[in-house]
Amino acid sequence: MRTKKNILLAGLKVLDLTDEKGSFCSKLLADMGACVIKVERPGGNTSRKTGPFKGQEPHLEKSLSFFYNNTGKKGITLNIEHKEGRRIFFELVKKNDVIVESFSPGFLDQLGLGFESLSLINPKIILASVTGFGQTGPRRNHKTCNLVASAFGGQMSVTGSSKPLKHYGEQTYLTASLFAATGILLAVRKLRMTGKGEHLDISIQEAVASTLEHVMVRYFYDNIIPKRQGSLHWDNLFDIFPCQDGYIQITLFDKWETVVEWMGSEDMAGDLTKKDYLDEAYRIRHLDHISKTIKNWTQKHTVKELFELGQLMQFPWAPVASPQKVVESPQLKDRRFLKDICPERRDIAKKCPGVPYQFEPERYQSVVKAPLIGEDNLDFYEKELGLSTEKLEELSNRGII
Amino acid sequence: MEDILSKIRVLDFTKVLSGPYVTRTLADFGAEVIKVQSKKTEGTEPVFGGYFHTWNRNKRSISLDMSQPEGRNLGLRLVEICDVVIENFSPRVMSNWGMEYTTLNRINPGLIMLSMSGMGQTGPWKNHVAFGPTVQSLGGLTYLSSFNEETPIGPGYALADHIAGLYGAFAVLAALENRDRTGQGRYIDLSQYEVVSTMIGPALMDVLANDREPIPQGNQPDYEMAAPHGCYQCRGDDRWCVIGVFNETEWQALVNVMGNPAWTLEDRFSTLTGRKVHFKPLDEKIDLWTRSHDAERLVQLLQEKGIRAGVVQNAEDLANDPHLLDQNFFIPIEDPVLGKTISDRSPIRFIKDASKDPSSETQLKSSPGMGEANQYVYMDLVGLTQDEYTSYVQQGVIA
Repeated sequence: MRTKKNILLAGLKVLDLTDEKGSFCSKLLADMGACVIKVERPGGNTSRKTGPFKGQEPHLEKSLSFFYNNTGKKGITLNIEHKEGRRIFFELVKKNDVIVESFSPGFLDQLGLGFESLSLINPKIILASVTGFGQTGPRRNHKTCNLVASAFGGQMSVTGSSKPLKHYGEQTYLTASLFAATGILLAVRKLRMTGKGEHLDISIQEAVASTLEHVMVRYFYDNIIPKRQGSLHWDNLFDIFPCQDGYIQITLFDKWETVVEWMGSEDMAGDLTKKDYLDEAYRIRHLDHISKTIKNWTQKHTVKELFELGQLMQFPWAPVASPQKVVESPQLKDRRFLKDICPERRDIAKKCPGVPYQFEPERYQSVVKAPLIGEDNLDFYEKELGLSTEKLEELSNRGII
Repeated sequence: MEDILSKIRVLDFTKVLSGPYVTRTLADFGAEVIKVQSKKTEGTEPVFGGYFHTWNRNKRSISLDMSQPEGRNLGLRLVEICDVVIENFSPRVMSNWGMEYTTLNRINPGLIMLSMSGMGQTGPWKNHVAFGPTVQSLGGLTYLSSFNEETPIGPGYALADHIAGLYGAFAVLAALENRDRTGQGRYIDLSQYEVVSTMIGPALMDVLANDREPIPQGNQPDYEMAAPHGCYQCRGDDRWCVIGVFNETEWQALVNVMGNPAWTLEDRFSTLTGRKVHFKPLDEKIDLWTRSHDAERLVQLLQEKGIRAGVVQNAEDLANDPHLLDQNFFIPIEDPVLGKTISDRSPIRFIKDASKDPSSETQLKSSPGMGEANQYVYMDLVGLTQDEYTSYVQQGVIA
């Protein structure tokens, strides 16, 4: 039973002013039970223009990426660039604990909504800013997008083949959002010690540059500038091979003798049984030949055969799964990773990806939804701010709500 | 001021990256992380060199042989004095040691425990063996991060380990918030396979909503209207830049910077939709132009004109990046064995602390030597007498 006591972040109130750069941050907080209000400009947040769309035709209320990045939030509209809108915003600042924003540095200051001003209204307010390059420094005013952050952050220099390749999706925003959400919970603890709010400055470039695993480690310790090498993993441990019906990622060097024995039992090991190959350095020198021999073998099999038999032998092998395969995965089904979307938003889809963790003693989020544009305006403005229906109508006519 | 997490003590059974990244994040903000190591299992995590050093800074280390019954008893006593236990073994290991959450929770009712295995603690694949590349492949990220369907490539590193680590740190902090309010401990079952699946959320939604199979897009925007949107070769050896144009104003600015070449007036390039349809010839034209330019200078020029552009920076570029240096992103850590080493600051920055004066930087400590904190932890914290301690060392339990 989900009681208020069980909800992890019960009572934490968050205003979300972000576009696609920071939406995932407040989604993370909402998933943990925080009360998140998405504050969109009248007409809707720009991130509603990002696809894919339900039915594939662009529509502001049918963006699937917006839906995914905003589940669990309530939605209101408010024009904070308008004087009266700002007055209402100040009222909201008094009643909330956290604000997440992703405007260009200086934008909120220009509106008189910078951290200093917000702190005067609510000294305990926590402001988290997610921007391309942070609030200070020579590149702070550079324009960014996921592609630019992937390049400047170092990701693309080590992904791809002859040409650099960005990761699928908006991974730079997701990474920065995870740092921001973690930072917000740290700021909440700090607030209890100091009695004061904080301004968190999250740079998307730094988020990328600090999650490069081996890249900076090898540079600083071994003087190596890591390069791209296609599907061959940097430590030569993994590579991808074709099967009859798709691709499998397998280990080339781990438990070598067992792999060769397996291939040999099907008369497919060729000369890999030679003693020379027991030496890892020799194998690295003859990688091309090994790859060719292994490819001949994998092509005789289905992905499922190699995956299941490989895992039985404790090999960390895996199919190169398409999104369709992820949706069909028996493991994810068993763990109910896909959540039901609430009945009134079934026009979008029946199910939506959930969270990657389960808390005991309770499971989270059985039904999910994301807000329509201004969906909660009436309820929210009346209940929270005590605005009358007439006042709301007037503000709406003037384009403030 | 004392550090934010200075009152939080973490018992850390994790190895390699995903788990150590959780505990490094907590240690960066003052948590007392006690890393449990053992001479017997040394092979599972090499302790020399930069990799271990980088992901285990600020932690303490104790040695403990959990394969002996006496070691497991000591393990339980350690649980009593900790707030959080974190492990990234395959699911059966902790229960084989008698350290499953139900037992630990009885000893320490407020305890938070995070298990972060490849597949999660339940389900038909729960015992599958997985590393970062395994879950990236299984979770759809590898397939989609490619130039086309015929040659899957995938991320050039174990990004999933960092993302799982961040999810883990976030979940532990959320559980601590709740514990402080209610006194209740929690068990968190994190699945790294599911972590990767959350990274391709919009693609999964596309399948679920439209019954459509998203395919790899290379450097094209997956779902945004932008063209050009790609990576282009510049002058020099392996030098590249990226350019993303999202609207007409940005396109006109780019045309100007290119010197208004005649091809930009062709009908097929006159609208964003047209440019998107004809992105291949468009990319070829732009690539011909960028080849004769220096990446840094070109990107600077494009940015000055309001165009989203970036340099594809490699490790050396990052280490010398004037913006990152201005932000003190890289900081020195003195190590007794490795000497002066360089590490990256946490991107979680509180503005008041982000002063440019390096003397106000958080003083980060080097990674620990194995068993370095044995006496402190076993005697001062757990309360073993000198005789008991010596006896455990002689029996090879603390080893």
